[in-house]
This record gives sequence, structure tokens and C-alpha cells, in this order.
Amino acid sequence: MRRVVLYEGFERFWHWAQALLILTMMLTGFEVRGLGLHLFGFQRAVALHNILAVSLLTLIVFAIFWHFTTGEWRQYIPTRKFLREMVAFYVTGIFKGAPHPVRKHRMAKLNPLQRIAYFGFKVLIIPVQVTTGALYYFYPNLQHSLGWPPAALWVIAVVHVLGAFGLVAFLIGHVYLTTTGHTPLTNIKAMLTGWEDLEDDAYFDEN
Amino acid sequence: MPHPPRRPSPPTLRRTLQTLLGLLTLPLALARAQEPAPPTTPGHGSYTIVHVAKSRRQTADHSKFKILQGPFKDSDGPAVTRACLTCHMKAAEQVMATSHWTWNVAKDGKDGFGKSTLLVNNYCIAIIGGNTEACARCHAGYGFKDKSFDFTKAENVDCLVCHDTTGDYEKEKAGLPNPGVSLAEVAQKVGAPTLKNCGVCHFFGGGGDATKHGDLDDTILKAPRTEDVHMSKQGAGMDCIDCHASDAHKVGGPNYVVPADRREQPKFAGESVSRMSCAACHSDSPHKSYILNRHYQKVACQTCHIPAYARGQQPTNTFWDWASAGRLKNGRGYKEEDANGFETYNSIHGEMIWARNVRPSYVWYNGNLNFTRLTDRITVPADGRVILNPAVGSYTDPNAKIWPFKFHEATQPFDPILQRFVAPYTAGPKGSGAYWGDWDWDVAIQKGMATAGLPYSGQHSFVKTSMLWPVTHMVAPKEQALACTECHKGNGLLAQVPGFYLLGRDHGTGVDLLGFGMILLTILGVGIHGFIRTTHGRH
Repeated sequence: MRRVVLYEGFERFWHWAQALLILTMMLTGFEVRGLGLHLFGFQRAVALHNILAVSLLTLIVFAIFWHFTTGEWRQYIPTRKFLREMVAFYVTGIFKGAPHPVRKHRMAKLNPLQRIAYFGFKVLIIPVQVTTGALYYFYPNLQHSLGWPPAALWVIAVVHVLGAFGLVAFLIGHVYLTTTGHTPLTNIKAMLTGWEDLEDDAYFDEN
Repeated sequence: MPHPPRRPSPPTLRRTLQTLLGLLTLPLALARAQEPAPPTTPGHGSYTIVHVAKSRRQTADHSKFKILQGPFKDSDGPAVTRACLTCHMKAAEQVMATSHWTWNVAKDGKDGFGKSTLLVNNYCIAIIGGNTEACARCHAGYGFKDKSFDFTKAENVDCLVCHDTTGDYEKEKAGLPNPGVSLAEVAQKVGAPTLKNCGVCHFFGGGGDATKHGDLDDTILKAPRTEDVHMSKQGAGMDCIDCHASDAHKVGGPNYVVPADRREQPKFAGESVSRMSCAACHSDSPHKSYILNRHYQKVACQTCHIPAYARGQQPTNTFWDWASAGRLKNGRGYKEEDANGFETYNSIHGEMIWARNVRPSYVWYNGNLNFTRLTDRITVPADGRVILNPAVGSYTDPNAKIWPFKFHEATQPFDPILQRFVAPYTAGPKGSGAYWGDWDWDVAIQKGMATAGLPYSGQHSFVKTSMLWPVTHMVAPKEQALACTECHKGNGLLAQVPGFYLLGRDHGTGVDLLGFGMILLTILGVGIHGFIRTTHGRH
């Protein structure tokens, strides 16, 4: 067992900033949707939602740069290795006190399920939200110049809203799964401080 | 004593934290920056400036002209006009080409859209059934009594009604001057039309103050800025003609047929005819917020900026029930009034409803209203309500916007056999056959239609009708404009406006149910998993 910096400074900043931005966008988004939230007031909620969207996009650009320059993007490549074991762990093993089937390592921080989930988050949910959000924002221009029918806006809105609901569900599952570490707060602490206790791993340590 | 200059203090943990907090809340601060600033002054005070400038433009003192010294015979309007025409020799010709004179307009190649001809409304119904003499009090001419009026006679043009600046000029039956008016005095003090000149007719449309237009009435002359930012003397102090600019005496206006001018900007500086759109002065992007500005594409300025009409002291007529007219007491007509002195019943009109501070109805509108004429064949719809001038437009119509309207409801006489509206003879003495004299619809309609030269089956019924009046005056101060959520909510002002997806209004329950179902299932799954973990597991 040894203590290592598992999450670098930028990674942590990116994670928490993204969390904050998405949370606020959820609140403002559901307020303008008319689902009974009255936190900011409609006009401010709309303005805020749009400003946050631009902030999030900027953050994503930096994050993409970071992923590629550091090579960290490789951590998110989905794999089937140990996938079955991971599923079995969450479905039964975890209740029996079985050991975690995948060891974390500096070069492989994510288990196969996390890889699939975060990969999906990055290449599916976020792009869908960004695209539909942009189409939503520029719909008046598209309607005006390309003659997009009113039904198009409805489709855009429905996809955007379903994406938002999906994000809420993702968030709930994500937060819950952080509690499955050694203690319920182990994983969150690691994400805050960057430090995590890792078991020694001969394979990765040698390569 | 001046404060000593502040020295920058060394960065402390607290300051660093404050900076970080500031960065995080930057979006909030930016959002707040888009909120409109509260008004600092109650009015613009430009009224005096505008009117001093206007009086400077006068280059002639009409009281010095010999020909205007008179004396003019009482009621001899044409004599005054002849005097005017000695210098302004083209003026009458110009006026005679306008609808202020002809009271008739052609539309899409069809004639008869005008009050002197076949147009039908649901206030006084129509003038051609023998009511011309009474209604012509508002005609810009002298002697318009009936069909025999000579529309080519220049001396019959009434210059004074528009150009009087004394406020003493008054017209009577057939548009002739009140014999008590000193025509010479009025003629010597002519000038450009002000609110009053237009108002003597346009404030009183439908037979009384505020009756017809919900957004124009006599109270505008003394209105506070909150009633009308443009015309109030506490506001911009503008005159009608500042927007309804004229070109060779043709005053700009929608005029039944010309679509409300949607041209965004004048074609060239000083172009006079395009000022009727808000954008001509305010541009098409007057808000600080880009999103608010984009509403301009589909929402008329008036929709948000005139939150209610009839905001002055005068209520406007919203319902006129001709079917209930003619109740008599001891063989005579009578009136009933509400606590404020407004007629709730009059034998000559029937029951009436008056309202102040009314929320408009909202309708897609591209500037075209399809008016009904007495010769048009009408199919009464299933709900029994005929809309006399339905608005044209839809979301997909690039020229249409959501506009505020006053809906005027009524019942009025109809010929169920010929399926046409009828023009009864209403204004006349006992024994003339006029409805207000003899209380007999059959005779009054028979007479009216004969005078109009139109067929009548001899049978009448009453049908429900609606008329749409675009609301465009009585613009409120910006802080009274509609808030976003008046429309962007489930049961908002645009609940009935069809054809498009509206944020905040159209959250289809199916989609939201699906979303909430997804969240519930997740919570359920997580809950069960967590429960088993805490009761059975070690992790």
C-alpha cells in the first residue's frame, strides 16, 4: 500500500468546475422548462444557462487539450477485460464483502464500467447536450434563414430535455457509486485532494 | 478633507478566497448586469423642446392675411376652404385622394372597404343605411349627407378640422361647422395637426369617447406618462403625426388594406412614410439582451410593451348587444348606468359592457385583417360567432408576429336568408322608420337596405360577432412591460396561440414523465442497492 497523487490539479479543477457548472445548468434549465423551480427568475435563469454553457464549453476545450497532451484520454478507452467481473461485483460481490475485482493504478484509474460510463458521458451525453443546446439557441436564425419548421424546435427541445434528465440520473448513480470505496467518503476525498492509497501492482509498476 | 490614498495591502488568504469566490460567481454577476436598470427620471421632458421647435417651423402668420379676415358666414366652411385654396392651390386635390375624404378603399381589386360604402362593423354597424348625415360629423368635408354628395368639389374639403389650433372648431351633422364657431378666428390660427385635431374623431370612434379603440381616448390629452409614454406630455409629448407622417396630405395609417408597415428602417434619412413601425425610431434591436431582441422576429413590440389597453380613466366598450335593444318604458327609450356613469343599457343600443385596464388577446397577424362587407356571403360557424375581420398570419408566415388585440364582441342584425349582414337605418326621428325613432327592426332594416341599394329578404335574426382591433397605442413605460413568465409558463398569456414550441409553456407531459421516470428508477435502484449494502455487505 502506498499513497500516490491519483488526480492531478487540473483534473480535479476540471472535475469540480464541471460538476458545479452542470449542476447550475440543471437548476436553471429546469427552471426555464417550467417544472416549478423558482430560484433565479426566468430571465436571469435563461441568461445564466447560456453563460454557463459557454463557460462549460471553454472548460471542455481545455479538458480536451489536457487529455490529449497528457495521454490521459487512454484511460477512457472502453474495455471488456474484467467487465463481467465488475458487473458481478456490483450485483452480488459487493454485498458479500468480496474484494474489488479491478485494482486502481496511476495508469488505469478507471474500472471497465467507469470507462464505459465516462466514455458515454464524454462522447454521447455531453455532445448531444452541446449540439441540441446550440441548435436551440440558434433556432431563430435557422428558422429564419433555412426555413426550419416549428416542429424542429420541438424535437431539439425534447432531445435536450431528455439529455438533461439523463444527466440527473447519471449524477445520482455517480454520487452513489462514490460511496462504494473503503469508506463512503474515500473516493470523494481522493477526488478533492488528489491523493489515494493504492495497493502495489507488480504489472504496472514494472512497465 | 480628502481621504488619504489607499495603499494596496499585501495579498492575504482572505483576499485570495474573495477573488476565487468572485471568479466563481462571475456568471451570476454577468447575468445580473443584463437586468434593466431602474428608471432615474419620471419623464423625458422633451415635450417643451419638441413643441418650441415645431412652432419655429411656422414661416407664415395667418392672422396677417387679408383673405382670412372674413367675415365668414356662420357654418360656411366652403368659403374658408376657397380662401385657403388661393394660396394652397394643390391642397384640396391632395386631400380628395385620401381615405379621410373618400371613406372608401379598394382591396385586392375589390371595392367597398370603407365606411362610406359596404364595410360592416359591430359597433354602429354601417353608415350607408341612411345614417350618413349623423356619422359625417367626422368626415373631412362639408355637406356629406347621402349618396348624392359631390366627392369632386374642392371647396367641400374641410381644412379646419385638421388644422385648427384654437380648439374651438367643432363640426355638426353632415360635417358642417357649428354655427357658433367664429370661422375667421379659427382660420387665422391654423397650424400643423396636434393630438386634439386627430382626437376629435379618432378618440371618439364608435360613437363616444374610448368606445371603439381600446388604446385611444380623450384621456391621452392629459395622460400621465404611465398611460402613454409617447403622447403624454410627461413623456415624449409626441403628436399623432410624428409617427403617422403624411405625404401630400395622405396620413400614414393601416387604412383597412395596407399591412401594418413592417419595414424595419426608413429607406433614406427623413423618409416620411415609414415611421409607423416602432423600429423606425427604436431600431429592431433596442434591448441590451440579445435574446430579447430576437423576440422581434415573431413578437410585436406592442405585445410586451402594452400590457393592457384602456389604461386611462375611460373604459372602452367590449360588448354591444343590439339584440337586446328596443326595450321601452311607457313607450319610450331609457338608459341604465353603472356606478361610474357608463351605460349598461340604452334602448337605442341594447346592453353594453365597458372595461378598463383590459389584457389584450394575442393573435398571429401579418398586417392583414380580412374585413367583411355587406355584400359578402357569410357562413355562420358552428359556435355561432362570426369574426368580422379575422387576422391573417401564422408562425410560418415570415411577416406575421404575435400581436395584441382588443376583441369587441357584439350581437347584430343579419339576413339569414341571403346570409348577409344588414345595414339598418338607426339615426332618425319618430315616423322616419329609423330604429331609434320607431323601434321596429324590420322597418329600419328595410329602409336601410333600400337606401343602401342592397337586397334584403325581409327576415332578420341576430348573430354573435367579434371584431379585432390591433392594440398599438398606450405604450407603457418599460418597467411595466410584460415579464418573461407571463408567456413562458404553462397557462400563460400565449396559452392559446398555436403553431410553435414555446419554452416554459410546452413542457409536454409525456417527455417529462419519461424523464422523471428515469430519475425515479435510478433513485430506486440506488436505494435498493444501498439498502442491501448497509444491511448485508461490508463495503
